[in-house]
Amino acid sequence: MSRQKKPQGLPPWLIVLLVLLAVGGGYYGLRQNGGDASMRTIEALDPSIYYENANSLRGNTYKIDAEIDSALGNSPSKGRLFSVTLKNASKNGAPVVLPVLVPPTLAGLTIQKGQHYLMKVKVIEDGLLKVEEANKP
Amino acid sequence: MKRSIFIMICGVFLTVLASGLQAQQGQQGNADTIKEGAQQIKQGSAYSAAEDAGAIGNVAKSKGILAAQKSLIDVKQNTFLALWNNPLFAAQFEKFLNAPAETSENARTYRQRIERIMELLSPGNATKKNQDEAFNLLSKASEFESDANICNTIHDAVYTAANVRTETARLIQQNIDLERQRKIAEYNNLQSARARPLDQSSVGKNDAESYNKNQDIERDARMEPTKRELASLGQTIERNKMRIATAEVSAKFQLQALILQFFAQRRYQHAIIANRFYRAIFDDGDQSLQGFEEMADKLGYNKDAGQLKVEGKVDPKVAAGVGGNESQKAGGTSFTAEGVQLGLDNLSVESLMNAVSSGIKSASKTFKTLSQLDGVANEIIRDVNEGVKVYKYLLEQNELESAGTQLASLFAKGEYLPSVRLLTQDEKRKTLKYAQLCNKLVNSSNSGNMDAVVIVVAEMKKVNPGFDDAEIMANIQVIRTASSLHIAQARVAASRGDLQTVQAEITRAAAIWPNNPEIQSFSTDMTKVSEKASPQVQALSDFDQLDGQHNYRQIFDDKEKYIAALAMDDSNRKSERQEKLRKVLSRMQEIETSIMRSQEIARRGDYAGAWEGLDVTFSQYPDDQKLSQLRADLTIQAPDFVHDIRQAKSDEEKKEYGSSLAWYLRSQSRYPMSDLSKQGIQRIVQLIMPDAS
Repeated sequence: MSRQKKPQGLPPWLIVLLVLLAVGGGYYGLRQNGGDASMRTIEALDPSIYYENANSLRGNTYKIDAEIDSALGNSPSKGRLFSVTLKNASKNGAPVVLPVLVPPTLAGLTIQKGQHYLMKVKVIEDGLLKVEEANKP
Repeated sequence: MKRSIFIMICGVFLTVLASGLQAQQGQQGNADTIKEGAQQIKQGSAYSAAEDAGAIGNVAKSKGILAAQKSLIDVKQNTFLALWNNPLFAAQFEKFLNAPAETSENARTYRQRIERIMELLSPGNATKKNQDEAFNLLSKASEFESDANICNTIHDAVYTAANVRTETARLIQQNIDLERQRKIAEYNNLQSARARPLDQSSVGKNDAESYNKNQDIERDARMEPTKRELASLGQTIERNKMRIATAEVSAKFQLQALILQFFAQRRYQHAIIANRFYRAIFDDGDQSLQGFEEMADKLGYNKDAGQLKVEGKVDPKVAAGVGGNESQKAGGTSFTAEGVQLGLDNLSVESLMNAVSSGIKSASKTFKTLSQLDGVANEIIRDVNEGVKVYKYLLEQNELESAGTQLASLFAKGEYLPSVRLLTQDEKRKTLKYAQLCNKLVNSSNSGNMDAVVIVVAEMKKVNPGFDDAEIMANIQVIRTASSLHIAQARVAASRGDLQTVQAEITRAAAIWPNNPEIQSFSTDMTKVSEKASPQVQALSDFDQLDGQHNYRQIFDDKEKYIAALAMDDSNRKSERQEKLRKVLSRMQEIETSIMRSQEIARRGDYAGAWEGLDVTFSQYPDDQKLSQLRADLTIQAPDFVHDIRQAKSDEEKKEYGSSLAWYLRSQSRYPMSDLSKQGIQRIVQLIMPDAS
């Protein structure tokens, strides 16, 4: 007696579900990585080189992943000066605390102690790190 | 017993050595002391004798060297230099060298009058008329200052002598008259003595005796007046004869004395003038000085006063011409057979009287007649005139030693003669300069200042290249060596701690050569030694030295010693030192407090905090070793923090404010309590953002 042949392959609802899941995951992925998309090509700052000779890095642009430590000063003309702690500690495990200057052009940026920012910084004169762009990750 | 013999031998040896030294130095030994030494040996005190003999030897040696020093320029007599050993003569000669030539109208007139007088009285010209003219000119010549009234003296003496002659003539005439009267008186007396036959009468035999007695009485009565007259006349005649003899002798004597006095005074022209008047007045041909000599022999001499010595160069020609008396010369008389001498020694009233007495005696023995004296005076005048020419020639040849000697001789012999008085200042100038140097040389030598002697000798060589300084320089070298030897002996004695010998040797060295530089250096060395012996002085010296080295830690460690030393410091630096000590103690107190605080913090394990506390103090007092050491130790204990701070400061100095700020932030992250980090951050922020709020 012949048995009734069962249908082969994934059921359509499952396929639809998978497609929906794929689209949703892609969206989520895009949403998650959307802040550092513009810094993807920027090199991360090597703290040891910076400490060693900041002048040699003058004019270069780097990205840093930092947490706001404290406000050091606020100048109407030059902007705001903060100390930040890099998320990536140095090789010997010592904390890496750097000063960053947030220029008046980024006056709209709300910065508070403990906030986490991905910053695009440029090494300017005196070896100071000037923030050109800052995004929350 | 053996020791006693050995000591005795040593004593004898030292005695002999002392005698030898004395003989070597040419000194008169202390014979009595040596004898006493010998006596001591005889008495068995050989050790004392040896000590005494050693002392005697040292004294003799010292005396010898001192004698050598004194004879540094004790050059031979009759040299130009020898004259300057006599201050009186030196002063007179220097005055003469500075005096201008007597070329004034008055001086010329005076010379003319003297020459005229001499011409009028010269042999062959001395007529009665010329004598009167010369006599009258004497008063006029005496008007001039340079004559010193001598012509007046001659005038008066001649006048007195002439009066005596007149009085003598009167007395002679009176005696002639008296003789005539005496003859009459004698005749009368004879007549009175004869018997008178007319008055005689016959007497009896018994009355004869009585008659004869009456006759005798009568004759005596007759003769009495004539006898009295005869006696009176005889006495008057004899008295007149004595007066004649005495007056003439007295007049002659006075004039002779005056002539000899002028000669002794070197007023030769006046001596000649007076002599010629003498001849004119006493024209009996008697020129003898015998009477004067007899008088001179009776002159007294004070032996205790000593002899006034007059020394200097003499002209041998004059000496030969006059003749000599060696015994008188040996007696040291001032007026010897050799003639005139220079300078005076042992000057006093008594010695001056002795000199005059001796001079008169010598003169009376030297000159037997006035003709002799006249001849010598003329010879001296000629000799002086010739000497002036010689002096000028030597001066042209720049032979100053010979020229100076010649001029001194001329000055001594014929100071008042026209040829000497007419020498100009220019003609005497070179000699004056040389003379002054000679005087300086003698004074320097007498003072024992050999350095001054060397300088003067060098000057003399410049002025007179022919000046022979070999002997002087050799003597100086001997003295210097002797002085240095005494210093060396003093050093040896000092090393033994024999202060008595040190003192004796230094005294000798200084006596020989007062300016010996070795004495100064030795004195400095001894001062250092003595300072070392005084803890207080040493402490002050150490304080100054440590302060100079900025070794304040050492001062602080021994502060009790320095506080005590400064309290007793009586120098004029006391307040300055006390101020320095106060600052040192204040500074060290601050450092010590900082160290103690850091050590306490370190004990709690806070090495970064301990280091930071010290670093602040270290920046103020970087030269404190203890602070520096502790800071270095703590650096090892907190190396990362120290490294961060140093990097921050380094970058700050380089004006790399960004980097510096990063380092400060890092050090602060290591030690959040860090004041250095906090202050550094504030400083950098202020620099980056001057308008920061």
